[in-house]
Amino acid sequence: MNPNDSDASRFTSAAADRRGERDLDDLLVHVARGDQDAFEALYDRMVGPVYGVIRRVLRDPSQSEEVAQEVLLEVWRTAARFDPAMGGAATWVTTIAHRRAIDRIRSTTAAAEREHRSVDVSPPHDEVAEAVEASLDRERVRRCLDGLTDVQRESITLAYYGGNSYRQVAELLHVTLGAIKTRIRDGLIRMRDCLGVS
Amino acid sequence: MRFFRQDLHTLAGAYALDAIEPGSELTRFTRHLNRCQTCASEVRGFREVGTAMAFAATAEAPAEMRDRVLTAAARTRQLPPEIRTHARPRPARTRVPWVPWLSGVVATAAVAVAVFFGFAQAHTQQQLNQAQAQNHTLAQQQARVEAELTQAKQHDQALAQILGAPHVQLLSQGTTKGGVAVVVLDAATRKLVVATSGLPALPAGKVYQLWLIGPVKIVSAGLLPTAQSGVTSPVVATGLVKGDKLGLTVEPAPGSKQPTTTPILALPIPV
Repeated sequence: MNPNDSDASRFTSAAADRRGERDLDDLLVHVARGDQDAFEALYDRMVGPVYGVIRRVLRDPSQSEEVAQEVLLEVWRTAARFDPAMGGAATWVTTIAHRRAIDRIRSTTAAAEREHRSVDVSPPHDEVAEAVEASLDRERVRRCLDGLTDVQRESITLAYYGGNSYRQVAELLHVTLGAIKTRIRDGLIRMRDCLGVS
Repeated sequence: MRFFRQDLHTLAGAYALDAIEPGSELTRFTRHLNRCQTCASEVRGFREVGTAMAFAATAEAPAEMRDRVLTAAARTRQLPPEIRTHARPRPARTRVPWVPWLSGVVATAAVAVAVFFGFAQAHTQQQLNQAQAQNHTLAQQQARVEAELTQAKQHDQALAQILGAPHVQLLSQGTTKGGVAVVVLDAATRKLVVATSGLPALPAGKVYQLWLIGPVKIVSAGLLPTAQSGVTSPVVATGLVKGDKLGLTVEPAPGSKQPTTTPILALPIPV
């Protein structure tokens, strides 16, 4: 986690964003060719968000570690299936990470404790030794989340960080299914515009 | 129907957050996503929001994880690139207007389209001829051609994407055994489309195989489909790296892991 890494500005300007993405895309293409040095570099840049998001969803540190390892190995194994036309490398990797965390919830623990998972809406403060570069992203995400209506914000965080399905979110917030679908989508549209995603 | 569609469309948000429970709804939406460009690009944008949220949640992973993952990777075999061929369309499910799509592509990559629409036309004409030979009614023939065109557009999404890219390059080179390979290259996404014309017919048990011949490694880029009237339909290859050449060899069916004969084509790819 080098604070001078270009990832620090990943979401601070569209141009920097694109520059950062391009490097990461490039790394991933080399990973796809079996380049282990490239994989090491990719690991160092992506392990923080990968582990972080999984930890956020699963909470349990040892399970999170296990899933994060699986995800990073999956990135290595399936790098050749990465399609830059479908989005950047960072998005590809974090999408896998989030989905695997959700898979884990839905398979194992979910069966036993089918309780709804509540979540604190604010991004985490309590994590140990948070990487410096994350703070900028966190600030931006927090600011953009603050720009949403309460229901939009709660449904997005309950779904993404809390690992709830939209059906569960609807029950938690006592809102109809149709309304939740719309709130999530509207909220994401506003987040997208606020974050300057193309 | 329209209401149903719209209803499906609002699921794009929940889908991007992995918040649709596995089941028929998820299956239906995933299928819809393959047909709905708007939904696909919306999901892409939403996924980037997810990415920002993941970065915002960045946490320090246990240090010992690093060695474990890197060691495991060194021992783990990687999957080969996914090669999509465009040889044989499946029957169309729905009717989608194809003209607007074509005009959009023509606007951005006229040359490439001229080449590939040539193939598409040949294909369509052949379907039509077949239909006529089978003495179908006119209505049936029209429906069939329409379905073929619709399908060509749908199953060629990867193709459409490359042809529609802003800076495609058209490359072509003759092979040492006659015939020519035509390549449309999208350097930005490191993808290319290959089609060939006039290659010598092969004896049974032999196939043409494409390769990405890199400075370090040679990777299979899939087999050429069987030629129809001398023309092979487009094949998409992904994951190009700097210094790659596109190679073509004759291999025993069903293809080889590494080339076993001298390439009859080695075309440098400027990425």
